[in-house]
Amino acid sequence: MIEGRGLTRTFPARGGLLGRDPVRALRGVDFTIPDRGAVSFIGESGCGKTTLGRILCGLEDFDGGELIIDGQPLSRLRPRQRETYFRRIQMIHQDPYSALNPTRTVEGILGAPLALRARQRGENDGWVRRRRAELLELVGLDPGFALSRYPHMLSGGMRQRVVIARALTVDPEVLVADEAVSMIDVSLRLGILRLLRDLRERLGVSVLFITHDVATARYLGPGGELYVIYRGQVVEHGRTDTVIGAPVHPYTQCLLAAIPVLAGIEQPGPQRPVPLGALDERAEPPGCLFEPRCPFAAPGCRSERPVLGQVGETAQEHACLYPERRAVVPVSAG
Amino acid sequence: MARPAPAVTPPASPNANVPAAVRVRDLTVAFATASGERPAVSHVSLDLPPGQITGLLGESGSGKSTLALALLNATPGRVTSGSVEIDGVGDVFALPAAELRRVRGAEIGYVFQASQNSLNPLKPVGKQLLDLGRSHGERDLRGLLRRARGLLEDVGLDSARVLSCYQHELSGGMRQRVGIVFALVLNAHVLILDEPTTALDMLSQASVLQIIRKVHAARRLTTLVISHDVGVIGELADRTAVMYAGRIVEEGPTGALLVGPRHPYTRALLAALPRITGDPELARPLSQRPPDLMSIPAAGCMFRARCPLAMPVCASTEPVTAEPAGAGPVTAEPAGAGPASAGSAATGPGGYRVACHAVPGERP
Repeated sequence: MIEGRGLTRTFPARGGLLGRDPVRALRGVDFTIPDRGAVSFIGESGCGKTTLGRILCGLEDFDGGELIIDGQPLSRLRPRQRETYFRRIQMIHQDPYSALNPTRTVEGILGAPLALRARQRGENDGWVRRRRAELLELVGLDPGFALSRYPHMLSGGMRQRVVIARALTVDPEVLVADEAVSMIDVSLRLGILRLLRDLRERLGVSVLFITHDVATARYLGPGGELYVIYRGQVVEHGRTDTVIGAPVHPYTQCLLAAIPVLAGIEQPGPQRPVPLGALDERAEPPGCLFEPRCPFAAPGCRSERPVLGQVGETAQEHACLYPERRAVVPVSAG
Repeated sequence: MARPAPAVTPPASPNANVPAAVRVRDLTVAFATASGERPAVSHVSLDLPPGQITGLLGESGSGKSTLALALLNATPGRVTSGSVEIDGVGDVFALPAAELRRVRGAEIGYVFQASQNSLNPLKPVGKQLLDLGRSHGERDLRGLLRRARGLLEDVGLDSARVLSCYQHELSGGMRQRVGIVFALVLNAHVLILDEPTTALDMLSQASVLQIIRKVHAARRLTTLVISHDVGVIGELADRTAVMYAGRIVEEGPTGALLVGPRHPYTRALLAALPRITGDPELARPLSQRPPDLMSIPAAGCMFRARCPLAMPVCASTEPVTAEPAGAGPVTAEPAGAGPASAGSAATGPGGYRVACHAVPGERP
């Protein structure tokens, strides 16, 4: 189990003559990734979800709060000790076209980390070969086909499977999938989502799914949790079905209303709110962070900043002073 | 390469009432490969009805971009057969080079797939607009800038700011909108958008889609939207053509096509779509991958290797497009058709066609 407690991260401002304000990428984020769980972070570009994923993988430092892995607070560990913890958390990158070394075959791509793993475990070359084939089969690739191929000979979906197989070489407990399907053809996305779901069931790994496409979060299997992040703050959190079925925060509602509607099969919800203006990472409104763009903002939103909590009759946590259920989700037609 | 052409070139969409603004007939575009020339687009006929948004839906490598570039006579492949006629332009393959240059931009606006990164990083947007005007011999550059400002406001951008911005100062969604402004500033009446929303998040995508719809209607454009995302096409397009391995396998009014898809490929595509409605358990991933230039079958139906309805005839004869039987609700479905084919009026007023042996056609 991995817990984040009040994680913050502030990036110093770059450039500008007048000394720009720093960007607050995370402002005290709490989350829990249970064993075998499926946790999704959703939000638009620039909301901080990628920073959160990178912190989890040890690719980025946090400057406040605590990351607790299996009860062990990370900040108390020396860098050397941290490494063994971060081995358990592996990232699946967004872009399978640039995440693989183009000069190595799939055999080499998987062979290098497996050889290292074999040394740690005192295994021989035969183990590496067996494990390589096993992993490829696990991610749905035929070893006979894939082993001798270079990345450019594979489709986007196949490459992403190789990326996942590579992440699995070190026996991780958590896979952090940062927009893992957004660069893949829509037709192949379901296959990758099913694979992540299967890995949860078969290997017991948990999946942290970072995405701007809420619909994909529904396909990770039962028991999913959803965190909606806006400007480094969790604004709504609950079970995936609950949040998608009955969102109460206007930002979540805008995200859900933005999903394209399939003519004939679906129709838009009765309400289709659109955020006002674009995200401004530097604005620091005194009240609610979403207030400047909120289509439902009230005068009180300008003075008080809401905190995440379960206020009113909601099944989920939210950070809105005036939570209200609105029918924004597209519905099946007919 | 020797491929038996369909005996008769079928009319693209049997909508005889309004002449199409863009008429593609029997278009084949081939690329040279190590093993000879291979067609990326094969005997495609397609009409773009004036004032409508036509969606071209297909997976990576299905030939959508090759087809769209052929509308500008700009395909890197070789056009081995067919014609593209555009209203007010004529056959684009017969145009002299100077005229072709004028047509690209002045008649047909094209927003490229990588339009996010296709601005010059060293010049502000305004200067690039002037370059565009000069390269088209535009005398009235003030007028051009005035039009550009109007268009920028139309797509929801602050024109004064954007014109003095460099590419890196604009977000992905803003660059995409600038791409649309560039495509339309010379008053093109045909707009082609290749994957207009890839790499955008949902909120930017929604606003770009809305802008496309608005600009399309306000300027009475004839628009072609290319995407692999059924959602984008389903939200935007009046008519949809589904492309597979260089062929159009199904075409019709978007609503009818999504509600009652006839071609097994369209059905599989819809069943594999992650959606916000419907039961996630009922979704079915597509098996295998689409054929590429090298693995396209030499004969028969291109989809047969992935097709649940494949029959012996599918291996030998390539199906031609035909209007599916029955203008009313579908009664006789092929066996094992699955739940997605719930009966509905598939033959809309705008014409419907499908290329599949397993779908009973009107013409045998």
